Amino acid sequence: MQLTPLINHKTLNMTKRKTVQWLLWILLIGLIAAFSAIYFAFNMPRRNLANENSVYLLSAKQLISDFRNDETIATKKYLDKAITVTGEIKSIRNLDNHSIVFSLEDAMEGVSCTIDSADIVTYASKLLHYKTGSRGTFKGRCSGMLMDIQVINCVPVQGN
Amino acid sequence: MNKLILYFVFSLIVFNVQAQNRFFTKDAKINFNSSTSVEDIVAESNQATTLIDIDKNEIAFSVLTTSFKFRRALMEEHFNENYMESVKFPKAKFNGKIISPIEWKSEKVVLVDVKGVLTMHGVSNEIILKAQIIPGKNKILAITEFKVIPEAFGISIPSAVRDKIAKEVTIKIDAAYTPYQP
Repeated sequence: MQLTPLINHKTLNMTKRKTVQWLLWILLIGLIAAFSAIYFAFNMPRRNLANENSVYLLSAKQLISDFRNDETIATKKYLDKAITVTGEIKSIRNLDNHSIVFSLEDAMEGVSCTIDSADIVTYASKLLHYKTGSRGTFKGRCSGMLMDIQVINCVPVQGN
Repeated sequence: MNKLILYFVFSLIVFNVQAQNRFFTKDAKINFNSSTSVEDIVAESNQATTLIDIDKNEIAFSVLTTSFKFRRALMEEHFNENYMESVKFPKAKFNGKIISPIEWKSEKVVLVDVKGVLTMHGVSNEIILKAQIIPGKNKILAITEFKVIPEAFGISIPSAVRDKIAKEVTIKIDAAYTPYQP
């Protein structure tokens, strides 16, 4: 790379030229590093729950009772954490954005585990076994409680 | 005995009537849009819960802020951590009353004003929004669009990124209610 022509040869002796050259290289490397850091941060990948270890592994009933007992404490404890919940599937429904919601223990006020539309094909064979009335285990990110407790970005966990 | 049966039938009817007074959905769509010349930020959640009481003309709506999906994971992180502070304030809520006349049996599209309190980021503000409602026997459809100013809800946006986020963020809600059976 020719960086030297930017500098007037006549006014600089060899050592000064070398120093300037070095500085320019450092600057260039610094800029590349900074831009790539910004680029990667900007395009950082989404959390993939399949690659995360669950912070809590519990039954849907336990999760429901924790939230019913004290929503504030439960929200602090579980919000945004990777959790694995197991329970009886009471209802299965499709959302407009093609995600699938499995409600555990209670169709209205149970635990709603959402599988994103993008993940359905990946887990299709596992999801086939998840029928109303059967037991289901899901790993996902707890996003809090409305009527139901919502667990999003779920992946089905085998061996339920 | 006859009286008992009568009473039983009567209570069934009453229960049925009561059940039909409330419509709800857990799958309401809510999205917001902040568009500026620098950047368009769009996010959507399909899991808002909302309830309409057609006797009292009341509407309640709530959504978990971490359920919003953005185009970029980084935007989602900033939204939850820096702006909405989702750990502290996990829900956004609206409780309101339809203040224009509405005939729930008509099954005709009506444009109504809904006056209520919008709470998000721990701050409550009274707002009046316009909603389009299509009443029905077994289904009620409602859509609304309104604008909010982030700063009015105590959401401070650093000056370095202020021009990337719209002064007023447009929120759209689309809900299909069905009778509520507790």
